[in-house]
Amino acid sequence: MRKYLAHRAVFALVTLLGVSLTVFVILRILPGDPLVAILGVEGHARMTPADRVRIMADLGFSDPLPVQYARWLVDIGAGRLGRSFFRGDTVADLIARRGPITAEIALLALFVSWLVGLPVGILSAFKPNSVPDGAARAISVLFIAIPGFWLGMLIVLALLFWFGYKAPIIIVQVWENPWQNLQIVLGPAVVLGLAQGAYIARMSRSCLLEVISEDFVRTARAKGLKEWLVVMRHALPNALLPVITISGVLLGFVLGGSVAVEQAFGVPGLGRAMVTAVIERDIIVVQNLVLLYAVIFVGVNVLVDLSYAWLDPRIRYS
Amino acid sequence: MSDRTNDTNRPASIDRRTFLRRAGAAGAGAVIASRIHRPGAAAAQDATFRPDPAAKRGGTLRYAVHNAPAHFDVHQSGTVANIGPQSPMYDTLLRRSPKDGQTIIPDLAWKWEIAPDNKKYTFHLRKGVKFHDGADFTAEDVKATYDRIRNPPKGVVIPRTPLFATVGDIVVVDPHKIEFRMTEPRPRAYMLGAFASGWNIIVRKKTLDEHQGNLRQVMNYPGTGPFRHVSRKDKEVWIMERNPDYWNKGLPLVDKLEIYHFFPFTPELGAAILAGRVDYARLLDPVSWRKVKETQGMTAGVFNQSVIQAFWTNMEKNKALADPKVRRAIHLAMDRHTLVEVVKDTAPMQVGGFVYPFHEMSTPRADLEKKLGYQKDVKPAVQEARRLMKEAGYANGLKNLDFCVRDIPTFKLWAVAIQAMLKEHLNIECNLRVVQTSVWFDEAQAGNFDLAISAIVSTLMDPSDIFSAWYGKNGPQNYSRWTNAPFHDLASQIERETDDAKRKTMVRKAEDMLENDPPLIPVAYEQIYDGWYNKVKGQNPSTFFGIYDVVRWDNVWLG
Repeated sequence: MRKYLAHRAVFALVTLLGVSLTVFVILRILPGDPLVAILGVEGHARMTPADRVRIMADLGFSDPLPVQYARWLVDIGAGRLGRSFFRGDTVADLIARRGPITAEIALLALFVSWLVGLPVGILSAFKPNSVPDGAARAISVLFIAIPGFWLGMLIVLALLFWFGYKAPIIIVQVWENPWQNLQIVLGPAVVLGLAQGAYIARMSRSCLLEVISEDFVRTARAKGLKEWLVVMRHALPNALLPVITISGVLLGFVLGGSVAVEQAFGVPGLGRAMVTAVIERDIIVVQNLVLLYAVIFVGVNVLVDLSYAWLDPRIRYS
Repeated sequence: MSDRTNDTNRPASIDRRTFLRRAGAAGAGAVIASRIHRPGAAAAQDATFRPDPAAKRGGTLRYAVHNAPAHFDVHQSGTVANIGPQSPMYDTLLRRSPKDGQTIIPDLAWKWEIAPDNKKYTFHLRKGVKFHDGADFTAEDVKATYDRIRNPPKGVVIPRTPLFATVGDIVVVDPHKIEFRMTEPRPRAYMLGAFASGWNIIVRKKTLDEHQGNLRQVMNYPGTGPFRHVSRKDKEVWIMERNPDYWNKGLPLVDKLEIYHFFPFTPELGAAILAGRVDYARLLDPVSWRKVKETQGMTAGVFNQSVIQAFWTNMEKNKALADPKVRRAIHLAMDRHTLVEVVKDTAPMQVGGFVYPFHEMSTPRADLEKKLGYQKDVKPAVQEARRLMKEAGYANGLKNLDFCVRDIPTFKLWAVAIQAMLKEHLNIECNLRVVQTSVWFDEAQAGNFDLAISAIVSTLMDPSDIFSAWYGKNGPQNYSRWTNAPFHDLASQIERETDDAKRKTMVRKAEDMLENDPPLIPVAYEQIYDGWYNKVKGQNPSTFFGIYDVVRWDNVWLG
């Protein structure tokens, strides 16, 4: 087990180094001048070459790229995530304030995806090729196909024009006011959760179809167990493993999807912060947030792998 | 003749009663006089803004505007993201009246004098004014502020620096009197406008010294303004409270100001005002603005903005575009009324020429619309444009022009329309290249384009400012690399001319020169859409010019 963990840790580290190098290089070769956003159009137009050199030096962008990259890695190792080079706010503060909102959205979306996806998958599997199965499959495909940001915009507009409702316009953390907080996170979580629920429904249907044809399910039925007990106690636990695997992957999609959906709902989470940082060419914020998302994605995948052994006693790591 | 008249002719003789009455009146007068504020406070004799006697005090104003500045240094900024949230915390030497947005009235200077030769401006400063940190405001702070604006330290870029290019020396006469000595005169309206500009907030000398003259990353530096900083959450809300020690007694009228962050022209901003999450919204998109207009209990306001939307023709890169006839032809081929219509659901615009169409010195709108290039019927203009192209040797048009388009909805819509107009009217073919804003400015400054569309701002609503910044030989926003010696000479004379009537004639002449040799192709002039609930009183921006001068919210109250 330890050897396996060490192996996964090294692999995760290499992955993260790859991500950090990729994002660092991409952000440096992208066209566009961050000084336009910093100084404004007029200020930028009146800036002399000497001013440019001085400001870039102040921002730490005049050093050679390998030096900048090494400095970034050292800073991360020391727990310093740097400062936005616009307002001077620290990235750590940004994550501390906006991270909980995005984390809530992601976890709630995952919960919604299971809440919707599993019953639909079970229904489809036990009534294959029936009308409910056909409807469930059609709706699944629909939610996979609809872009989250578009659905989000429709929900926002419908709430506003039909009910005159708009969610709070500033961050309210769950510990400050749970009801207002729920109003902020619910919309994005439902939109993201429905899309991921469609994947869960399709995966659980195919896994269950496979499992219910196994001998042990037939035996369970033969000994006279009620159908819901056959499903809940025997079929479902054995079909869940791939669903859990895909949930780990989907969490990554949820985090990625939150970038667009938070923007559509106007939710001030990390995804929205990332969009703004990209527009502003706020390199320090973008590279740290991308790396944070990568760390979460890699971490979740390791946890999913480790959960296999707990869920299925037949699996042992060596 | 009345008895009274006769009385006045009588020799002065005072009886006991008269003496007592007059003595009593004199005593009462002395008491009243002692209660009148000296120039240190908002004195009755100075014409600064006084609150409406009917105004109610108290409450919280929730205002929505872009409030996520790239940095916090108002002097170095050129965007509403700074002036929107930060202005309420600061004062200026002079200001534009919040009643009409035009009249220049006293602010921290309660009185001023201008030398007859226009080469010296003397400001008398208020006494007893305090910065938010408790420090006294003195002429040293004004000197430090203006020394920095006219001569920024290294690494500091201030767009308003050219406005004070002729200020040779700033002399502190005493702690409450300061002189600006000019190397050469400038029109009074120009200089007073510069002193009243909302950008030129007075900052404490000590603050500037402590930060080596760069306040980009200093979030809360003390001002003397009507509101004090309380808290700020990045890209969410900036909260301010009433300054209880404000020199202009009775102001501000609201106790608290909550400034929420919304990007301009977005549906989110429209949704926030329509859903009642905020009381006042600035820079609404046209669709939301129309909804506000239709909604009972709400008011929709519109006013002019200091922004020209235009496209530039690169004269250094493209030989054909260096020919004034070709540029004039392109200018005439634009159907401007249609271009305004094209973006009517995206941003509010109006037709205009080379100088602000609403400026008193520019050609009046009615006359402008009689000129070729501005008429609703474009046929005569197109006919003339084709003739000019033929005369220039480009009767068959031009091919493969690189059209660099800034990635903003209005420019993308316009670029397609302009592309079609150029093709249809002049057989000019161009390839659209949409780029991010920061890339656009890189490309424009490097000259990597044939045509490039964007918008530019002026710091002052004065023709001399735009003649220098937009059309000047080395003007920072002269992206076409345009030169025209007679125009530059005339612009220089206009800058020096202190007689308004003569200046106006010269500006009209300059307009004609620009029409025939366009340094850029004007597309439209921006307008601003505001929306608010009727409970917000004291604010009517309809005669304001731009969103940079009257933004202090001290006069606004909640009904």
